[in-house]
Amino acid sequence: MTGIRRATFVLAAAAAAALGPGAAQAAELHHIRIIAASPSEAVRWYVRHLDCSPLADRNDATDCQGVELMFWARPTMGSTQGTGVDHIAFSYADVDAKMAELEAVGVRGSGVRLQRFDGGETLRDQPGLFRHGFIFDPWGTRIELLEDPDRQGFHQVHLSSSDPAATLAWYRKVFGGKPARLRGRKEGLLLGDIWLLADAHPSGRPAPTSGRAISHIAFSVPDLANAAPAMRRKGLELEGEPAVPRNGRTDARQVFALGPDSVTIAAVEPGFAGVEAEAGAVADGRDAEPYKAPRTPWGEPDLQGVWTGNSAHGIPLERPPDLAGVESLTAEQAAARRERGTLGSIWGYEREWRDTTLGYDKMTPSRQVAMIVDPPDGRLPALTPEGGRRAEEAARERRRKAARPPVGPEDLTPYVRCITRGLPGMMMPGIYNNGLQIVQGPGFVAIQKEMIHETRAIPTRQREPLDERLQSWLGDSQGRWEGDTLVIETRRFNGRSPYRGTSEGMELTERFTRIGPARLAYEFTVNDPAVWVRPWTATFAFDLDDAQYELVEYACHEGNYGMFNILSGARARDREAARAAGQAGGSQ
Amino acid sequence: MAGGAFAQDGAMPRAWDGRPDLNGVWQAIGTAHWNLEDHPAGPGHPDLGAIGATPPGQGVVVGGEIPYLPEAREQRARNFEDRMTADPEAKCFLPGVPRATYLPYPFQIIQGDRKIMVVYGFADANRTIHMDKPNPEPPPIDSWMGRSHGRWEGDTLVVEAAGFNGQAWFDRAGNFAGSALRVEERYTPLGRNALQYEATMTDPDVFERPWKIRFPLYRRLEENVRVLEFKCVEYAEDLMYGHLRKEPTREPPGEED
Repeated sequence: MTGIRRATFVLAAAAAAALGPGAAQAAELHHIRIIAASPSEAVRWYVRHLDCSPLADRNDATDCQGVELMFWARPTMGSTQGTGVDHIAFSYADVDAKMAELEAVGVRGSGVRLQRFDGGETLRDQPGLFRHGFIFDPWGTRIELLEDPDRQGFHQVHLSSSDPAATLAWYRKVFGGKPARLRGRKEGLLLGDIWLLADAHPSGRPAPTSGRAISHIAFSVPDLANAAPAMRRKGLELEGEPAVPRNGRTDARQVFALGPDSVTIAAVEPGFAGVEAEAGAVADGRDAEPYKAPRTPWGEPDLQGVWTGNSAHGIPLERPPDLAGVESLTAEQAAARRERGTLGSIWGYEREWRDTTLGYDKMTPSRQVAMIVDPPDGRLPALTPEGGRRAEEAARERRRKAARPPVGPEDLTPYVRCITRGLPGMMMPGIYNNGLQIVQGPGFVAIQKEMIHETRAIPTRQREPLDERLQSWLGDSQGRWEGDTLVIETRRFNGRSPYRGTSEGMELTERFTRIGPARLAYEFTVNDPAVWVRPWTATFAFDLDDAQYELVEYACHEGNYGMFNILSGARARDREAARAAGQAGGSQ
Repeated sequence: MAGGAFAQDGAMPRAWDGRPDLNGVWQAIGTAHWNLEDHPAGPGHPDLGAIGATPPGQGVVVGGEIPYLPEAREQRARNFEDRMTADPEAKCFLPGVPRATYLPYPFQIIQGDRKIMVVYGFADANRTIHMDKPNPEPPPIDSWMGRSHGRWEGDTLVVEAAGFNGQAWFDRAGNFAGSALRVEERYTPLGRNALQYEATMTDPDVFERPWKIRFPLYRRLEENVRVLEFKCVEYAEDLMYGHLRKEPTREPPGEED
């Protein structure tokens, strides 16, 4: 379809050129710029969920039935809603079927968020128009799904305006287009066969699009340099002169302007194909030259500061089989992996939430392929027979618990209960609250993790271990300095918060080493002979964020509404089941 | 003198910078955790017999009484009535400041050059005392443990804590403050193994005037003494969620007599 539309476009451009500058040129919608953490993941999402097509040699754009969505890895301030570009729309022959498909994939792992109407339904009839509903993409773009028999696929750009009629008139004056009525009723502007619609902004003025999920919309204007003066005369305040952008894929020029309601608009020449992404800054640090840690005033290596595990979030513990032999990911693969990991997490958090909490735009995602470095294949070693029995028992237990509503808090994990993530679980980077604060005093290192607020006070001078009977969730730790490295050995776990099947007999050895002014390598070795035939070692790194990041008090249990809701929901299901059983009994 | 070295005269050891070296495991002794004010012995939960009873105790409030505003005094009385279920300590909630200091458990001070970390066993509570940052006004975010900034006045560590969420109590008797609470703590060495602890509470929403508690903190002298992990959540779950079990162990809240 792109091909066809581009062909007609060439004719239109030729016609416009023949008419000369100043004649009404019917510009077309060229692309929509969406800010997404990982452009390639965004392409995947739109191809998978909204039937757009990949573009050859472009990992940052997708063709949605003639309109390009161009993704841009940049900081974002959040959703389209509230800005002058409220949403875009896609039309389907059977919108109920499409919505059912999206509801079925669920938000987990897909990032498809449904925006329900007040009554809870996802679709509603718009009298005289069509049936429609709304979803969000994972990056905050509001998307309308509708059933317009006149046009399938990408359907419209829907503006939110302080003066809808004037806004449409402005776009018509500057970019041409054909005034028309959608389904014979709603005033709009047809650009080719894409609708530009505008509704009154609910209250106040729309927020600028700059920095939001849709940061701008772009129109194609042939021979931009010659058209620019006429566009200026028509009221488009161009920011500078049309120019080929740095790293532009083609020699098509581009210029930006601010439209009504602070909507950023780009005018691009036909053939514009975005820019080659700059080479991602790599902050892996493992190859960095040896670094000598500073010393505390009393002479110990100084690991103090606030660190985060944000860059390591998304590194799998085990090497994925399809990445055997791969030394490191490309920057874009790393960004895509983290994005997938986030979409796969509990609620596929929306972009603006993740950005503010994860510092996504500050920490380049790690390109490390897997955490396990020993065994060298990056996979957990073989289980012992006892380890196998334990794994089977744990799996049975999980199935047993999953098969019924939880009977009490004990059916949920220690993490859900806000008790602990255990060790080494509590050191692992997660989707949010990844802060790690280290404070040292002579002979002691305090290691505080933000998640669930857990603090370990580690002695670096030898002390008597605790008695065997004094088992605990986080065990008994003894630290020591090996050169610049803090080594911590921990035993006497209670075994109630296993990590990948660890037992109470686990011997955990952790090593913290500053490998750069702002990088702290963390390596841990699990020696659990009851479970695995040999020890295994994994590593990732924390980044210093001392100037800006502060750990917040993660008062987890104090606000564990999730526990109330899970258990009260379980009891409601019990009552429903009892009622159903009662009715079944009564009808016999 | 090197950090941690013991002074010859039984005085508090000095840290690398010449300040008192407070590193170590400390604990308050007394009944402040039951009631900051003077209190006679009293009954506790009948199922626990004498174990649950409140032991008598001499108060730690300087001047004897907390100067509540009238409505706040009534609230304290209601808290006392409801204490078996409403006391945040019963629910294993973060204890707040100054309560964390005189819970009947040891705590550890880790005193560095930029921060002082206080690690408590109960509910995994901890405090970061910023010695290296300007104290932001107003405090940026409310929390149970608040935000602490410290400075030295001679040999006294002075800590200003604010930014509380107003949900913490001071003791098992229902003494409390609101979210406007500000606490100024003073830790002054009394020789090698004791600190004089003072905390001045200011909260114009709850108290007529600022008031102060004072008692010593003692160094735990047992060899190999530890602040042991006391993850108490699971011991509070029945209290909090017992009515939501498949086999309920409690009446729903509000339906108890």
